[in-house]
Amino acid sequence: MYRLKLTSLFFIIIFVVTSLLGCQQNAPANSAQNGITIVIPEDPPSFNPIIADTGYDALVMELVMLGLSDVDPEGKVFPELAAELPTIENGDVVMDEDAGTMTVTWKMREDVQWADGTPVTADDVIFTYESIINPETGGWIPGIDYIDSVEKVDDHSFTISYNSIYPGYLTQFGGEQVVIWPAHYCDASQGFASWECARKPLSNGPFVLAEWVNGDHMTFVKNEKYFEQGKPGIDTVTIRIIPDQSVRKTMLINGDADLDMWTNEQMVSDLQGEANVSVDPSPTNRWVMRIFFNLAAKGTTDPVATPHPILSDLRVRQAIRAAIDVDTISKEFFLGYAKPAWTEFFRPPYVCDIPRPVFDLAAASALLDEAGWKDTDGDGVRECRGCKTAEEGYVMEMEFITYAEYGEPLELTQQYIAELLGKIGIKLNLTVVEGSVLWAASTDGGIEQSGNFDMDIWDDGYAGVDPTDYLWSYYSTDAAVPDAGYNYSRWSNEQFDTLLGGVYTLDEEQRKKDFCEMASILDAELPELLLFTASNADAHTVRLENVQSSTNDLVTWNAANWVLK
Amino acid sequence: MLQTVGLLALLSVLLFALVNLAPGGPLAGQGQSRHIDPDKAELLKRQFGLDKPLPTQYLVWLVGNDWMQVDKDGDGTLDSYGTRHGILRGDFGFSFRTRQPVLTEIGQRLPNTIYLMTITMGVAVLIALPIGIISAIRQYSTFDITVTTFSFAGQAIPEFWLGLILILIFYAWLKNPFTGEPLLPPGGMTSTNSVGFDLGDRILHLILPVTTGALGWVAWYSRFLRSSMLEVIHQDYIRTARAKGLSNIKVMYKHALRNALIPLVTLLALDLPYIFGGAIFVEILFSWPGMGRLYYQAALDRDYPILLAVLIIGAGFIILSNLLADIVYAYLDPRIRFE
Repeated sequence: MYRLKLTSLFFIIIFVVTSLLGCQQNAPANSAQNGITIVIPEDPPSFNPIIADTGYDALVMELVMLGLSDVDPEGKVFPELAAELPTIENGDVVMDEDAGTMTVTWKMREDVQWADGTPVTADDVIFTYESIINPETGGWIPGIDYIDSVEKVDDHSFTISYNSIYPGYLTQFGGEQVVIWPAHYCDASQGFASWECARKPLSNGPFVLAEWVNGDHMTFVKNEKYFEQGKPGIDTVTIRIIPDQSVRKTMLINGDADLDMWTNEQMVSDLQGEANVSVDPSPTNRWVMRIFFNLAAKGTTDPVATPHPILSDLRVRQAIRAAIDVDTISKEFFLGYAKPAWTEFFRPPYVCDIPRPVFDLAAASALLDEAGWKDTDGDGVRECRGCKTAEEGYVMEMEFITYAEYGEPLELTQQYIAELLGKIGIKLNLTVVEGSVLWAASTDGGIEQSGNFDMDIWDDGYAGVDPTDYLWSYYSTDAAVPDAGYNYSRWSNEQFDTLLGGVYTLDEEQRKKDFCEMASILDAELPELLLFTASNADAHTVRLENVQSSTNDLVTWNAANWVLK
Repeated sequence: MLQTVGLLALLSVLLFALVNLAPGGPLAGQGQSRHIDPDKAELLKRQFGLDKPLPTQYLVWLVGNDWMQVDKDGDGTLDSYGTRHGILRGDFGFSFRTRQPVLTEIGQRLPNTIYLMTITMGVAVLIALPIGIISAIRQYSTFDITVTTFSFAGQAIPEFWLGLILILIFYAWLKNPFTGEPLLPPGGMTSTNSVGFDLGDRILHLILPVTTGALGWVAWYSRFLRSSMLEVIHQDYIRTARAKGLSNIKVMYKHALRNALIPLVTLLALDLPYIFGGAIFVEILFSWPGMGRLYYQAALDRDYPILLAVLIIGAGFIILSNLLADIVYAYLDPRIRFE
């Protein structure tokens, strides 16, 4: 009996001790009346999205920090810390056409303060810039190499001198990634990439971080010093880390969560009919599901020296385009939420009129016949019979790779495409790999960079509103070399390169014209086959109003405007 | 002892090589991006120390680089001494994902895992002991047959399925009749709005994860104890004990159980590393901020410093618990003596 008591005592002690061990800082009371809960699957690494770019960092960053500008769901840039956007028209952008350089003068709002009452000034911008470019401890943001210097004009204005014409200047210190950091609060010696203020940020946005219990939850309270009068409309935002999707869904239905970020198609479909949940997809989605054709033979990266025996013939690529039924993929695997997309220029501000490809298996077969690929032995797979790209008798069989993280809809899509291409005599062997294996550098054995593939399917698309650098890295001749860019097709087109050189201008009309010419070239030559965009949606309870999903930013981009019904 | 150190040294080489040589890498599409600009990749490689040859990386990981010149700004010249101390001096580096020291990251998660796992194992043992004993004493009784059936079910049911079903029943379906709120929380360690140390709130948050986690162990330990007991109660000394007129309870508890427990205690000692490693499905399902999730996330992100730290510390725990099992065994069983 005595021993039994001793055992019980032992367990009681263990319970109390471990309870205390696990006991972290206690949460401040949540204002249940005017507070909301957002559920996300993993912890944000920090409040600085430049470092790890998980999306969750940008989500929380948008709650507490401001950039010079941001982009709305329609692709329109609007000022945040800036008093107005600098343009040629208002004289704040001055071009030197001969030298090919430009200077941009930003004027900042004078009524924005950090949460400790210190005003946000040009010094903070210069501090941020200098921290980013520190080669030892800094980070990297798009277009940073185009900047020669950032100089203070007065407390609330500064000038950026560019060594080139950089069309993306409007969102370079804004958008979903870059914010201005407080010079008086962040410790420069800790370095931009790892400074403590990226985990305990000093707010100038609508909310202030009150508490962060790693892996469990974060609590934000209203920033009383926020510059927009009467905002934010919500007192507290709690972010709970709920890794399992079905638990997030149940919490949303039960009303214990108000917002689920990046709600996937299955969950959107499951939530239909739930009276207290609403799902509003963003007007467009930047991520386009696409097939990458390797124009060089598998395992090589030079399409001239070693052309791909099958895919180097344009008619084969066109046949594959004609054989894919995007509508069925959308309906069957994406529950009707995928929208067809067949050009890079399908969303504002650059929309080009490229005719939609027609699904036509007979036309696809005819193209393959014409290209000299015929099934003469009756096994259902074509062989080279007079084709120009392979030896006579070469079998039309290829590997078709996708990545695992996307999940079931993409794997089903991959299988369905293989089935469709099987109908026109192209045999595809399916492989699913981890994204980090697919996209690694060639030195790390990356499949794409090493050219170790025939056809791949995955999603990408340019972020923000300026496609220039994206187009360079995916389609330019300079980027067709392993690890120099992501021109995995190793496609090269002189006319395209010339046009690309021309779009580094601020002449919007010229840019629109040039982009649409590029769209026509890409449509004609098919280095990549664009298929559709999946839905970009965030589910929220109906009591939470003014939520607007955006492909240009995280859903919290307008959190200051949110109100509870 | 020397053997243990040698084993750990060998493991450190193997683990480092395995983690680093696996295809893919931490610079392939960080987070939501599918590509990293070459300039950014170069900067990150330098900051992470991935620009050095693998043997050098291993050396830096092991003993640090504060004794050698490094090129910190990437201009091609060696400019100053490094700042890493190496794991031998307790510096496990920083996480690629959060840029926080690895030990800080582990320190945030380890107490939560110890908390959950100790209670889970404690509950499992408390339930498994009587079940195992009764099953053995009343072999082939209705109780034994029922428990045996449930034990097999308990071992066969996948944790992720059981956890989801429990959440569905106790969170989504059943409501507290007084408040109308869900009967049990769907996850987390405490309510986000709890103030101070609220024992009731903590217990409510423990019920589902502990049940899910303990079920398999209850089945496993009780089966183990049953067979161990059965073996013992047919021994001669038990018959002798009965023959000298001891009561059944005394025979069972003083003579049979104490001997039957020896293998179970060894088994428990061998299971101790779980207290460090956590239970990944339980942590994911019940949003428990523990080591399992930290490791899983690090594996997805190819966060090498975290992965390596968890692996090498875990390996240390396994070696230690084996040692502990040996010692406990020797202590409990006088027939075993180490030379």
